[in-house]
Amino acid sequence: MENMTSYIKEFIGREKSRDYYPELISGLAALNKEYHAFNVINDRLEAKNSFPFSTKANICVKGFETNAGSKMLEGYVPPFNATVVEKLLRHGNFSFLGVTNMDEFGFGTFGTHTEVPARNAFDKEYAAGGSSSGAAVATALLKYHVAVAESTGGSIAAPAALNGVVGFTPTYGAVSRYGLIDYANSLDKIGVMARSGEDAKAAFDIIKGRDDYDTTCAIGKINNNRKKKLFVVKELIEKTDPKIRSAFERLLDKFSDDYEVKEISVGILGNSLAPYYIIAMAEASTNLAKYNGYKYGLQYGELNKRYNEFFTEARVNFGTEAKRRIILGTFIRSESVKEKYYTKALMIRRLIIKEMDKVLRDGYIISPTLPIPTPKISDVEKLTPMQNYAMDIFTIPPNLGGFPHITFPYEYLNGMPIGAQLVAEQANDYALLDFVSEWEKGFEYKYKHNLGSI
Amino acid sequence: MEDREFERLLKITRLKLTQAEKERIKADVDEIIKHFDSIDSIDTEEKPAYQPIDVPTRLRKDDVIPFSDVEALKKPSKLHNGYILGPKL
Repeated sequence: MENMTSYIKEFIGREKSRDYYPELISGLAALNKEYHAFNVINDRLEAKNSFPFSTKANICVKGFETNAGSKMLEGYVPPFNATVVEKLLRHGNFSFLGVTNMDEFGFGTFGTHTEVPARNAFDKEYAAGGSSSGAAVATALLKYHVAVAESTGGSIAAPAALNGVVGFTPTYGAVSRYGLIDYANSLDKIGVMARSGEDAKAAFDIIKGRDDYDTTCAIGKINNNRKKKLFVVKELIEKTDPKIRSAFERLLDKFSDDYEVKEISVGILGNSLAPYYIIAMAEASTNLAKYNGYKYGLQYGELNKRYNEFFTEARVNFGTEAKRRIILGTFIRSESVKEKYYTKALMIRRLIIKEMDKVLRDGYIISPTLPIPTPKISDVEKLTPMQNYAMDIFTIPPNLGGFPHITFPYEYLNGMPIGAQLVAEQANDYALLDFVSEWEKGFEYKYKHNLGSI
Repeated sequence: MEDREFERLLKITRLKLTQAEKERIKADVDEIIKHFDSIDSIDTEEKPAYQPIDVPTRLRKDDVIPFSDVEALKKPSKLHNGYILGPKL
């Protein structure tokens, strides 16, 4: 395709002053005091002609604190690189810029479940989205940068939408998870955020592919099967805030010349929250069992205590949402109720995959990314956990089924960006990335900051 | 959820909660389980999908691959005569 926006190509092709990187780092450090996008900024960034990338704080980078937003992993400095980091560094055109903020272990839709939440890049009073909060804010602050992020149930899509950037979640198993601090292994996917579809594609092309260190990284060929139909799922769209719904109708009108837009009914998708959270919490509770105050990160130190006492006292450092999910996940896996909740949720997952697959063979599923306009941080704090989980209504179905999806900004409501989400069949990732590159030709991205402009 | 069951879960997950945390989390847990119970109404005979994609069994050759960075693994731990110290069993 012609006329695509590639900040990567633009950056690499331009002369930069010797002071470019030092100025970038000091500017970013100052801005970060306001937005808290980064947990760690790499001030050793080498002054060479390479494009900065960041990693979410649950993706291991050798020598940099990777704590998954949790006090339980405070001080954990990995002795190795995640495969995605290794691939970007070996490529030669990319330099590591820093570690980005996130909800503790990925548990959140708005970025508020961590000690110092990231702030929305358009207005600091508003939520950044989560759980890859810092990745999205960083992408919206920096002109030349891509973020490597991770999604379990919507953790790339939600923050990308709220900060007006492209958020791409690949097919499950297209990108290696080696070096990822797992939340829920059968749901976690590493993906990218960028300021254009083309840059997301360029980064995805480098990080995708089989890996001997991750047997679930089993997707081989990635396709580009363009579709001409856009499906809107009735059971999901009817739960949307009226302001978002009318903006979304305006978007559909724009697509109606080139695509057949059709509302369809897929009843089971209206019930996807419960099976998703059952599976996610069951897996999370097993993953979090290993954090005990002496093996990784936090060093509790009271080694004269007995094992259970030591373990229990050290685990006080989990945040409330983590504790809630550990308790629920452990309950769900109890012998007496395992069939009722966990096994049944896995059966429903297969049903959802089959139903979505039927639809996606024929076209894309399109929806708003979030059902509400960007909330203020103070309003998010008032939500109950169930109200919070309900915000994932659009992002959960593709995440539960391992389907690739992309979010892109399409309008600015009272100055805040809103995003739409497009879902494709498994391994049809390129079709989504090209769809967004096409869309961008008639859309003007807006940013409050363009740090690092040349 | 009965209080006894909640206490059992705290014990096996090795979580110690303050009274305020207990009240808050217990109420949340009850609300969330009520929502989880909604899956009872979904009738399906599908096989459980443990993964969203088919993951073929791939085994690497049973070769010894040297690992040289042992020092890095020891880093955060307290050591005594080359052993990693932990709490008493």
